[in-house]
Amino acid sequence: MTILATEGLTKRFPRVTALDRLTVTAETGVTGLVGANGAGKSTLIKILLGLLAPTEGRATVLGLDPASQALDIRRVVGYMPEHDCLPPDMSATEFTVHMAQMSGLPRSAARERAADTLRHVGLYEERYRPIGGYSTGMRQRVKLAQALVHDPRLLFLDEPTNGLDPQGRDDMLGLIRRIGGEFGISVVVTSHLLGELERVCDHVIVIDGGRLLRSSAIGEFTQATQSIIVEVEEGADRLAARLTEAGRRVTPHGRTLAVEVETGSPAAFDLVRDAVCDLDLNLVRLEQGRHRIEDVFREEAAHV
Amino acid sequence: MSEAVPAPAPAQPIGVIHDIGYRHYEGARLGRGHAFAALTLHSLRGVFGLGRTARAKIMPFVLFGVMMLPAAVSIAAMALIQRQAMTYPSYAVVMQPVLAVFLAAQSPYLVAPDLRFRVLPLYLSRPIATADYVAAKLAAMAAALFLLIAVPLTTLYIGELLVDLPGPPHSGEYFAALATSVVFAVLLACAGVALASFTPRRGLGVAAVIAVYLLASAISGVLVGVFESISRDEAAAWAWLINPFFLVDAVQVWLFGTPPNNDGGYPPGVGGPVAAAGVLAIIALSVAALLLRYRKAASS
Repeated sequence: MTILATEGLTKRFPRVTALDRLTVTAETGVTGLVGANGAGKSTLIKILLGLLAPTEGRATVLGLDPASQALDIRRVVGYMPEHDCLPPDMSATEFTVHMAQMSGLPRSAARERAADTLRHVGLYEERYRPIGGYSTGMRQRVKLAQALVHDPRLLFLDEPTNGLDPQGRDDMLGLIRRIGGEFGISVVVTSHLLGELERVCDHVIVIDGGRLLRSSAIGEFTQATQSIIVEVEEGADRLAARLTEAGRRVTPHGRTLAVEVETGSPAAFDLVRDAVCDLDLNLVRLEQGRHRIEDVFREEAAHV
Repeated sequence: MSEAVPAPAPAQPIGVIHDIGYRHYEGARLGRGHAFAALTLHSLRGVFGLGRTARAKIMPFVLFGVMMLPAAVSIAAMALIQRQAMTYPSYAVVMQPVLAVFLAAQSPYLVAPDLRFRVLPLYLSRPIATADYVAAKLAAMAAALFLLIAVPLTTLYIGELLVDLPGPPHSGEYFAALATSVVFAVLLACAGVALASFTPRRGLGVAAVIAVYLLASAISGVLVGVFESISRDEAAAWAWLINPFFLVDAVQVWLFGTPPNNDGGYPPGVGGPVAAAGVLAIIALSVAALLLRYRKAASS
């Protein structure tokens, strides 16, 4: 089922074009929206919520048009903004109950849902204390809870891992995975850290400068290229030259070399091993390249 | 929280707490009216510091106490010397500094934190329109101001009925004052919230509202003084209307024929309708400014 679709969506501000004829679709599940800062991710979410009118083009969210049915969309959509958005003098419980009521839940239902939701995002006793004293990780959980409290069918999470430490990041990504799977709520999650989306998304949309770079299932991304990562102590350039001579495509990535190979070929490993031996280099690392969306993004962005 | 509990046999689930996982919400989803009411109530409680820290309660309740003081004294005076000490139509005009301080102190609370802590996008991403948010905030402030004026008035009226002064009770004046307090509440709420909404800083909002009141009353006072000293009484009568409290009083005089609460009265003839138009103009201007301000905030 298509949860959102845009067609030639364009948004021009007086000085910048935030979205440039963007045409994308997203299915149920977890969809990653990837792009550098200023790529147009937040603008896209605002248009989809009906907070911003597009200059051209059209969009649908859950089959509804944000331009004319914004309220119907917002009733069944949750939104977690990128920035801080919590009043410091309220407790997480009060705030979440209030936000549930603002989404149309009756008071008693709002209380019940708030308690459930805060438990799901991992806030326990501290939920009765004022938010002003919370850590960044706890604040992110409250932000997620307020987006989830009215049991939306679709969640927009704008940079949910921003400012979190590695542990908090893992917890948040785990939660997003659970929301998309166990909870059965579709999620559109934005990030500029591409590597982490790989772990939670079914589908990734890459935008840059308001234009679509690529939209495909996560599997296609990571299987697009196969490579071996080689790291030697010195003489990486000599090795690169030798491998290029042997007909391999070699790209240096900092201290390492990425050697492109055909899928499932042990010959390539042998070739690298022999080349290292012949050149008498000290091999530090030789491994199967872990294909990151990041690489794809970097390469495609370079072509544009 | 979700301790490992052995899965109970389907037949005997009694008394076992276990993680039932995520449950979808199947209940009612109410419309804009419900959200509007929830936000209005939440804001109204907040104006009086309810559901906030103890410190936030001090100011509104002290001011509320001060508003009640003349009513208490007046009831005592009626009981002891059998005379009305404070008339209903004069209550809000006499107590105008207290109302102005309350407005200045509390209206920034309604709008500034949502702007400063950027809670506004959360409201606007919910099924309400921008106008609903503005209307709820205005309704909360107007209700708070109405309570601040109407509760002492009503106390005074009940007191008068209980003391049973010689002659008929001043019911007409009481109801006129009550109706006028609605005008006071709406006018002050619109102006105060509109002024406060332009800055996310609460202190600045407080200063802005009180400065506008002081400026208006000072200009009005000076002009009245000057015009009276050169014996231009009609110009002086117009100058009173610069102060918003006397502006509303002029409307009260025009609508209900109560005695004016300034020295020298208001401009006769068109004075009343002009004052009423002035009140409406200020309300319209404030609401328009608020809507414009929040439209802009919604799209940024």
